[in-house]
Amino acid sequence: MKKFTFRGGIHPLHDLHEGKEVTRMQPIKPYVPQSVCIPVNMHIGAPSKSIVAKGDHVLLGQVIAQAMGGIGIPVHASVSGEVTEVAQKQMLGTVPSTCITISNDGLDTWTTLAPLGNVEQAAEDRIIPAIQAAGICGMGGACFPTHVKMSPPADRKIDTIILNGAECETFLTADFRLMVENPGRIVDGLRAAMRAMGVSRGLIGIEDNKPEAISAMQQAAQGRLGVEVKVLKTKYPQGGEKQLITALTKRQVPSGGLPCDVGVVVLNVATAAAIADAVIEGKPLISRVTTVAGAVKDPGNLLLRIGTSFHDAIEACGGYIETPGKIFAGGSMTGNCAPDDSVSMTKANNGIVVLNEKDAALTAESQCIRCGRCIQSCPAYLNPYQMHVTYALGKVDELEKQHVLDCIICGACSYVCPAHRYLTPAFKDAKDLITARRASK
Amino acid sequence: MTLRVSTGPHILTRENTQTLMLDVLIALAPATAAGIFLFGLRAAWVLCVAVVAAVVSEYAWQKLMKKSVTVHDLSAVVTGLIIGLNMPAGAPLWMPAIGSIAAIILVKQLFGGMGHNFMNPAMVARAFLLASWPARMTTFLLPERLLGSTQASLGVDIISGATPLVSQKLGISSGVPLSDLFLGNIPGSIGEVCKIAILIGFLYMLVVKAISWHVPVFFLGSVALMTWLIGGDPLVALLSGGVLFGAVFMATDYVTNPMLRVGQAVFGIGCGLMVVIIRSWGAYPEGVTYAILFMNCLTPLIDRFISRKVYGMVKKNA
Repeated sequence: MKKFTFRGGIHPLHDLHEGKEVTRMQPIKPYVPQSVCIPVNMHIGAPSKSIVAKGDHVLLGQVIAQAMGGIGIPVHASVSGEVTEVAQKQMLGTVPSTCITISNDGLDTWTTLAPLGNVEQAAEDRIIPAIQAAGICGMGGACFPTHVKMSPPADRKIDTIILNGAECETFLTADFRLMVENPGRIVDGLRAAMRAMGVSRGLIGIEDNKPEAISAMQQAAQGRLGVEVKVLKTKYPQGGEKQLITALTKRQVPSGGLPCDVGVVVLNVATAAAIADAVIEGKPLISRVTTVAGAVKDPGNLLLRIGTSFHDAIEACGGYIETPGKIFAGGSMTGNCAPDDSVSMTKANNGIVVLNEKDAALTAESQCIRCGRCIQSCPAYLNPYQMHVTYALGKVDELEKQHVLDCIICGACSYVCPAHRYLTPAFKDAKDLITARRASK
Repeated sequence: MTLRVSTGPHILTRENTQTLMLDVLIALAPATAAGIFLFGLRAAWVLCVAVVAAVVSEYAWQKLMKKSVTVHDLSAVVTGLIIGLNMPAGAPLWMPAIGSIAAIILVKQLFGGMGHNFMNPAMVARAFLLASWPARMTTFLLPERLLGSTQASLGVDIISGATPLVSQKLGISSGVPLSDLFLGNIPGSIGEVCKIAILIGFLYMLVVKAISWHVPVFFLGSVALMTWLIGGDPLVALLSGGVLFGAVFMATDYVTNPMLRVGQAVFGIGCGLMVVIIRSWGAYPEGVTYAILFMNCLTPLIDRFISRKVYGMVKKNA
């Protein structure tokens, strides 16, 4: 079978495996906490506006924060119970966010739902509004509102929807488990998206280290109009949006452009499943599968309510077995570090990984030996060596000419560097600087 | 709970400069062993002095200049060993010492240490010794022992220890069978004679991905092609002198060759061209050292002018 891939990339290893072996055979287990604390700014764009107050009683799936503007999405209660606090809290982001704390009454009383029914029969024009109403955003990590992604400018003709089942990040097996255990839902979601956008081709890209997921998805895709499973080579960052598009369509997203510029929309497999839930059952996005791994007693895959604290999720996996030195949301290449374990699970949170103090320790840089590994690994075909020299000289304009804005912050160059230079952090800093400068102009 | 917060990646490769240099040392082991087998204990002493002098001068310089000492990265060991392997076994022991000190102090440390030298330190050391003591650097001993059960073909017309290349230069067919060229039953520098040992080292470095194949293959390919074009025997050209050793262990020095694959190809081809030009029309019988040094100097230019297309540099709405 033909295996698709991109040029560049790496094979990250943690303790001589990708960190996935521990959890890949752990079935998804639901976990419901005593209380949830839901931030209103989980998605990219204007934060939603809280419409509940302390003491209010809310039902499961009830809107607790309204979408602001056309590209916003609402936030829903992920448990039924009483609102105990609406306050500013430090979450995963750099600025504190408004968070709604709900004490769980344990009843899971659903609010009234308005399902559209079977994905092949639902009215096409009602699907995208239903996705917005369900508060769905990219669940692969970026959390960009899905209905916006699915409504490209009129002059962009979309011919392909790609479902991202690559899960190339280390440690994570949440998408893998979802594909193995609930492949039908994912294909339903893809079909709903295809019909809503009038697209006839739907590809599902899965890395070849997930044979169980490939066969499950192939089975589920059988007889479904325009749906095809494509096998990808196992390589990081195969699941990077641009890399995935290039691997499967040979098209390159133009610099500074979006996938829709080359006629493609990419959705994560978990996002597709959430779309199916919203269309078929009218259920908003209130839970997701997350891999809890690293220095915890029983690493596994949990179906967690949005707003569950990292602490509760880790306790549900038997708690810490070592003093934690670092906890991050996502995989070890691009994961977001948590300041402490009180932060909440968001819609984008596909993993919670705990590193012990030794693995979390800062590594010292040594002199660059010009081995060129950074260059060979870069999936954006940049020159990290040169960019890092320029960064050290503080020449931001020069960095822009060296295309630092095309860096996808995948971490591949930093990972392979034998001198352990802090490459990716430098490029992230430079990108932030340039973006901020442009915004202030 | 004290947690560290940082930008990803949160895991790094286990490789570091030391492990890479260790891989190079392992790759050099067969050639080193073959050299000591062929040329005996004198060769071992030359190698020993070269390595010790390189390490001691790096340590002393860094202490003196109050820099952090980095001899544990093994790069000085590699430099020293390569200098030793590039010398005739009969060289007086002060020569490898001077070579190593010059390489480490003049070429490496004065330009800023690891990663900042623009020429390969071991190559400069060899050129320096060759220019200063040409006779001593080109008086090659016959191997004391032979590898394989070849006939005692060595004797007769090369008692003086002229290398096959010198014989060719003088217009005499060296008459050395290819098998002896391959196994190392010829006079020459300690590390360069046994080609099979060098190839084992090359394979090892490819397998552990310490180097890529580009520089050596383009280097050797261009030597073979050029030699064939001017009417020589490509196989003899590849198995004579220091071409193989140079292509595998010296042209592949990370610091002094280009970083992009295309640049590495240009670098390799340039090295090959220079070797054949010097061998055929230059005053020296061998030109590997100068060829590599010449291309080292061109490396910044190659890196500057050969770039690749960044992802997404396509027409919008194409």
